Amino acid sequence: MAAPTKKNASSACVIPGGFTVLSLKFCSSSTVQHQLCVKEHRVRAETNTHRPLDRTLFILNVPPYCSQSVVKDLFSQFGPVQDVELREKPAVAEDKQPELSPYFTPAQKKCFKVAYVVFKHSSGVAAAKAHPYDSPLIVSTKEKPVDTGFKKWIHEYTQSFIKPELLQQAVDDFMSQYDKRKEEEVELQKKEAEEQQEDEEGWVKVTKGGKGIKSRPHSEGANQRALQKEHSKKKRKELLNFYSWQHRNSKKEHIAELRRKFEEDKQRIALLRAQRKFRPY
Amino acid sequence: MKRKNTAKDEDLENKMETLHPSEDEEESAKKPKGSKKTASTPLGEDGVLRPLKLSKGELYKAPTVEELNQLKEAESLFHCSLLKMQMEELLKEVALSERRKKQMDSFIQQITDLLKSVPETPVVELSDLSWLSESGIDVPFVLVSEESKGKFHMEPPDSVDMIGSYPLGTCIKPRVSVDLAVTIPASILHPMDSINQRYSRKRALYLAGLAQHLSTSPLVGPLHYSCLHGNRLRPLLLVTPSGKDSNSIVLRIHAIPPPDFLKPSRFHPQKNNIRTAWYTGQDAAQGSSEPPTPQYNSTVVGDHLPRSHLQFLSVHCDQCPAFRDGVALLKVWLRQRELDQGAGCFGGFLASMLLSYLLSTHKVGKSMNAYQLLRNALHFIASTDLTENGITLAKNPDSKAPSLPEFQTAFQVVFVDPSGHLNMCADMTACTYKRIQHEASLSLQFWDDPTLDGFQALLMTPKPMLRTYDNVYQLNDLVKMQAACKKLSLLSSLMDHSGNYVLAVLPFILSLLQRGLSDRIHLLAYSLPQDPEWSVYGEPPMHKDQPPVSIGLLLNPERALSVLERGPAADSPEAAEFRQLWGSRSELRRFQDGAITEAVLWSGSSTCQRRHVLLKIITHLLELHADIPKSCVRYVGGQMDDVIKVKEGRTGEEESLKVVQCFDDLSRKLWKLEGLPLSITSVQGAHPALRYTQVFPPVPVKLAYSYFDREKTCRALVPQKDKPCPYYITPIKVICHMEGSGKWPSDRLAIRHIKAAFHIRLGELLKQEHGYTCRPLPTHLDVWKDGLVFRIQVAYHREPQVLRESVTAEGMLIQRDNAEAQALELETQHKPFLTSTLHGLQQQQPCFSAVCRLAKRWLAAQFFSGDIIEEAADLLVASLFLQPAPFTPPSSPQVGLLRFLHLLSTFDWKNNPLVVNLNDKLIASDYTEIKNHFLASRESLPVMFIATPNDKNVSIWTKEGPSVQMLQRVVLVAAESLRVLEAQLINPNQKQDIRVVFRPPLEAYDVLIDLRPKQVPMLSRAVDPPNTTCHPGTLDGDAVSSGGAFPVVDFDPVKLYLSELRDAYGDLALFFNDPYGGTVIAVLWKPKAFQPQPFKTSLMKARRVDVTEDVAITVPNIEAIVQDFRIIGEGLVHKVELRTERWVV
Repeated sequence: MAAPTKKNASSACVIPGGFTVLSLKFCSSSTVQHQLCVKEHRVRAETNTHRPLDRTLFILNVPPYCSQSVVKDLFSQFGPVQDVELREKPAVAEDKQPELSPYFTPAQKKCFKVAYVVFKHSSGVAAAKAHPYDSPLIVSTKEKPVDTGFKKWIHEYTQSFIKPELLQQAVDDFMSQYDKRKEEEVELQKKEAEEQQEDEEGWVKVTKGGKGIKSRPHSEGANQRALQKEHSKKKRKELLNFYSWQHRNSKKEHIAELRRKFEEDKQRIALLRAQRKFRPY
Repeated sequence: MKRKNTAKDEDLENKMETLHPSEDEEESAKKPKGSKKTASTPLGEDGVLRPLKLSKGELYKAPTVEELNQLKEAESLFHCSLLKMQMEELLKEVALSERRKKQMDSFIQQITDLLKSVPETPVVELSDLSWLSESGIDVPFVLVSEESKGKFHMEPPDSVDMIGSYPLGTCIKPRVSVDLAVTIPASILHPMDSINQRYSRKRALYLAGLAQHLSTSPLVGPLHYSCLHGNRLRPLLLVTPSGKDSNSIVLRIHAIPPPDFLKPSRFHPQKNNIRTAWYTGQDAAQGSSEPPTPQYNSTVVGDHLPRSHLQFLSVHCDQCPAFRDGVALLKVWLRQRELDQGAGCFGGFLASMLLSYLLSTHKVGKSMNAYQLLRNALHFIASTDLTENGITLAKNPDSKAPSLPEFQTAFQVVFVDPSGHLNMCADMTACTYKRIQHEASLSLQFWDDPTLDGFQALLMTPKPMLRTYDNVYQLNDLVKMQAACKKLSLLSSLMDHSGNYVLAVLPFILSLLQRGLSDRIHLLAYSLPQDPEWSVYGEPPMHKDQPPVSIGLLLNPERALSVLERGPAADSPEAAEFRQLWGSRSELRRFQDGAITEAVLWSGSSTCQRRHVLLKIITHLLELHADIPKSCVRYVGGQMDDVIKVKEGRTGEEESLKVVQCFDDLSRKLWKLEGLPLSITSVQGAHPALRYTQVFPPVPVKLAYSYFDREKTCRALVPQKDKPCPYYITPIKVICHMEGSGKWPSDRLAIRHIKAAFHIRLGELLKQEHGYTCRPLPTHLDVWKDGLVFRIQVAYHREPQVLRESVTAEGMLIQRDNAEAQALELETQHKPFLTSTLHGLQQQQPCFSAVCRLAKRWLAAQFFSGDIIEEAADLLVASLFLQPAPFTPPSSPQVGLLRFLHLLSTFDWKNNPLVVNLNDKLIASDYTEIKNHFLASRESLPVMFIATPNDKNVSIWTKEGPSVQMLQRVVLVAAESLRVLEAQLINPNQKQDIRVVFRPPLEAYDVLIDLRPKQVPMLSRAVDPPNTTCHPGTLDGDAVSSGGAFPVVDFDPVKLYLSELRDAYGDLALFFNDPYGGTVIAVLWKPKAFQPQPFKTSLMKARRVDVTEDVAITVPNIEAIVQDFRIIGEGLVHKVELRTERWVV
C-alpha cells in the first residue's frame, strides 16, 4: 500500500492541512488498513462546553464497525479518555435533549463517521498526533473482541426487545414533562391575558407581545385563504359574455387554442419522425 | 354606417386576394426556415419534448380561410390534428419511393421481355419430365397420384401482365412484391383439363419451364417457388434480381389460363371435378355420386379472374381519391395482427375488395379520407357476420352463377367476387373470420376511447400470437393429422384440398375445440399456416414439415378454470350429444340443487393446477375424436408457474387469500376492542400480501422451539449463533388510524410517545382478550396470530401536517414540505389506499395477482427490485389490466409477464407519463392535464413517471428511483428477456428453460460477494433452489392460532448486511441482490467516486490520502473496503470475488 510521504519509518505522518494520518486495522491478522486523519479540534467559535478546544481530538474516517466504546478503547492508549462523540458529518455540537429516552432516539446510520475524542488531559491529543503511521491501531483484539456480521445482528435483534413496562415508563416520563411544559405555557398565557385586562382604574398595560402567543393565529394558510376569498369575490362580480368584445375574444381564444395544439402536435410528430417511430414493423 | 362597413369588408377581401399569391410564395420560402426552427429549439439534442412557446402575435393573428378549414377538418374528421398527422406520417413511411418504383419498373420490363422469349419445346406426355431434367429444375407440385393423362409442351406466353397491388398502387412496404400474370397459351391446355388436377399440373409444369428459361439469364438471382395463400395447386415463381438489389424486389409470377378458357359454370361449388377413383387409384363403386369439390373449383376459377379483378378495383380506385391510402391503412392493421398472410388469410386483395364493396353499396362516401375508410371498414367487419350472411359484389350475375345460399352451404365465409362465380373467402375458416371480427370491434372500442392513443395502439403495435392470447397450444407432429383425417373420415375433404391434410383437418379440429371449450373461452384463434418457400432445384416441402399450428385462446376468466363441466339433464335429448362429445369422461352426477345431469369433472385443487384443465380438455378431445396423441399437444408457458411456486402444485393464490382472511379477522377483533382511550377509525392493510401481490405470500408456520435461544425479558425466541438462519417470517404491515381528538398533542415528539403508548395498550388488550403474543415497540406492534405476524402501526391523521408546521421568528405559522412528512404520508395514507384499490382490482381480474407476482419475481431476479419498488411494479402491472389496448386484459400469468416485459422495453418514458386509471376515476380532461403538467416540468420529474388518480403530478412511487442509467438497463434487459422467452416459447426445438430469463447476467459487475447459502433465509425461493429445501426452525403441521412464544420476525441477515453496506459505501458503489434467495451480492463501483479529489474534511469517507508536491488528494481505499465487505458480513460472506481491474486507480 502506497503510504503517504514518510520521512522517517517510525515517525508520525503529517499531511498538508495539518492532519496526522494514523492507520487502523480490524484485527491483527488483517492485511490492509484504513487511514484515520486526526487533528486537534479547532474552530473559531466553539461555544459548546462538551468539546474543550485544548483537549479534543478530531478524527476523520472512522469505519462503521467502530462504536463509541471501541473508539474510546482505541484512543485510551494515548491517555485517559473522558468522552467520545461520533457524528456523520463534522458539525457543531447540538444541545442534547436530555429528556429523550434511548427507545425514542433514532438509530444512527452505520457509515464512516467523524469522531470527537475528549481526553482528560491535553497530553492525549499530542500523543495521538505523534503516533507513527506504521504501527496501526487494532480494533478487535483477543481481550476485547468486536462482533460483526451474523453475531452482531443476532445481538442487535436480541437488544431490540423492550420490556413493555420500561417502554410505558419512558412514555409516562416524557408525557408528564410535556404536560408540565404545556401547563407552564398555559400559565404564561393566562398571565399575559390577565395583564391585558383593564385594571380597576381602566388602564391597560401594553406590552411587546414577545413570545408570540397572541400573534400565533396568523398562519400562512389563513393568509392565503383570505386572499383567495377576496379574489373569488372579485370574480363573481365580473360579467362574462356580456359585451361583444368578450365574444370576440373568446372566439379568438378558441382559434389560438387550436393553433397552439396544432403546433404542439406538429412538434410531437417531428420528434417521433426523428426517432423513426412511424415504422409500423 | 352600414355602407362603411361593407366597403371595409370588400377592401379587406381585395387585400387578401392580392396578398394571397405573394403569401404562398412567402410560405414556401419560409417553410424550411420555420421547420428548422421547430426542429432545433423545442426538440433539443436529447429528444425530449419541451413546452412550446408561441408568440402572442403568432397566436392571435387573423386566420385565413384555408387555415380555418384545415383546423376545423382536423378537429371534426379526425379525433384531433395529431391523429391526422400521424396517419400521414405512417402512410409516408409505408409508401414506395419513386426511386424504388423506377428500379422495379425497369426490372419488370426486363423480366417481361425474358418471359416472352421462352423457347418452344416438342410435345411430350404429361408425366414425362425429361425435358426439364437437364437444368435440374424441379416441378413445384406434389404429384400425389402419379398417373395422369395429357400432353405438354412449352411455348411463349400469350401475354404478360401486371396484376395485384402494384399496378393498383396499394402496394406497401415492407415485403414489396409485384405480381406478374403469365397467360398460358391456349394450345397447351385442353378443355377437359380442369378434371383431376390436370390443369394444375400443366400450370406447374409451365412455371417450371419458365424457371428453366429464367435461370439461364444473368439478370436473375436465385429462383424460388412459393404458393399463393398456402394453396399447393397455385404455385408461384419468385424472381429476384441478381446482385445487391436481390432483397428489395420480388416478382411473383403466376401462370394463368387464357380468359374464358374454361366455362365458370363447370366450377359451381356443388360440382365435382376430382374423381374419387382417380384420386385413390382404386375403382370406385359405380353409382355412388361423387362428392363436390368446392375448394378445388374455386382454385381453378380464381386463376381465370385476376385481370378482371384488377380492372374492377382500378375503377373504384379512380373514383375515390383516398382509396389507396385506405387500403394501405387496412393492410397495416391486418399485418400487425398477423392476418395478412398464409392459408385462409384476409390479405391485401380482400381488403381492397372489401373497400370496393363498401364504396359500391354506398356504405362509405367517395370523398371520405383514409381514416374514415378504415374506420368504416372495421365497423362493417365488426357488425357483419360473413359466416351467416355472405355478401356479393356481382351486380347482375349470369343465370348460371351459384346463388348466395349455395355458396353458404359450401364455404364457411362467403364474399363473392364481381363475376359472381368465385367466393374470394373460399379458404377462410369461420374461426379466422371471428378473429377478424373480434379484432375489428376491439379496435373500434379503443378508438372511441379519448384517453387512449389509438394510433399507437392499433396501427403501430404488433400483436404476435404469444402476447395476444392468454393460452397458446401447439400441435406439433403434423403428420399425426393424417391419422386424424382417417378417424374423421375426411376423404372427400382431403381430395378437395388435394392432399393437404393439415388444411383439411383444421376446420374440424377447430369446431371440435370450440364445442368442447364453449363458454370457457371468448375466442379461439389459430396461426394461419404460412406459405412455404423453396428453391426451384428442390422438391416442394412436405405438409408435415410445416411449422406447428398454434392455437390461441382468449379465456373467460369466470369460467375458464372451472373443474366442472355441467351438461344437460340425464333424460334430455341433448344428453346423448354431450356423451358423444366427452366420451367416457362424461358421468351422471347428482348436484346439490337435486338435479341429476351429465357432467365432466376434471382434477385440480389449486389455481395453479386448474390452469391445466384446458390442456386436459384439449388433449382429451383430440385424442378421443381425432386420434391425435397427447404428446403432440404442447402447452406453451405452463413452466412459468414454477418460478412463483410456494409449495408443490401451488402458486400462492390460495395462500394470499388465507392471509387476507386472517387480516380481516384481525381487523374485526381490533374494531371490537374496548378500553382504548380513543376509538379506532380505520384498519387498513399496507402490505403487498394484503393486495395479493407479494411474490411469495407469507405461509403460516409452526415453530420448532428447540431451534432457538430465548430472550429473557420478553419470553421471545432469538436465533442461535451457530445454527443456520431460521425461516424468514414476514411482518405484514397494518395501519391503524386513531380517532382525531383534542387530546392528541400538537408536538411531534409527544405524538410519537402517545403512539407508543397506544402500541402497548393495544398489545395488552389483544393479549387479554384473544391471547395473542405481542411485541410492542415505539414504532409498531407485532402480533403473532395464526402462524403469521402482523405489524400494526398506529397513525394519527394530522401527524404529517404537524411535521410540516413550524413557527418562524416573527411568530408566523408556516407549512413547509419535508422528507419526513412525505415518508409518513406514504406509509400511512398512500400505501393503504393503494392496497385497498389493488385489492379491488384483484376481485375484478383474478389473474392480476399471478401476473404481478411473476413480474416482480423477474424484477427481483434481475436485481431491479431496489430501483423499481414494489408499489411501482404493482402499478405497472395494473396498467396492463386497466389499459390493455390493443389487447384484452391478460388472463394467464405468462401472457401477463410477456406484456409486462414488452411495456418495460418499449414505453417512451422520456416523453410520456404512464397513466394508471385506478377505479376509472380519471376522465379525458384529466389525461390532458397530466400530460401538460408532465411536459411543462419534465426535467424536475422522475425518469419513470407513473400518474394515478390520487397522484397526478408527483409520481410518488418512482421518486427515489430508478435513475436514468438504471432505467436504461431495465429496458435493455427486459427487451432481451422478452426476445429469449418468446423464441423459446414459440419454438419447441429450443432448449426449454424459461429460468434463463430469471438469471441475471453477472458480467457487468465489478465485485461479487458470494453468501453462505445456509445463512440465506429465503434460499428455497431462489430461481434455482437447492434440491433439499428445508425451512429451519419450523415444524410440519398446522400453526397454532394464538399464544406461544414470540417468533423471530423480520430477521434477514442479507437485508441487514445490504443496508449496512449501502449505509457505509453507498457513495462509492451500487449493491444489487435478489431478495428472494439470491446468494450473491453484485457490486458496481461508481466511476465518479473514483476520481481523485483534493483533501477535504467532508470528503474523507473510506478514502486514503496521497501526497504529491504538498497537495493532498484522496482516492477510495479499495483494498480496505473490500476487506470491510468481509468484516461487516462476518459469518454470512463466503467469498469476495474481484472481477475487474477497473478499481485500480
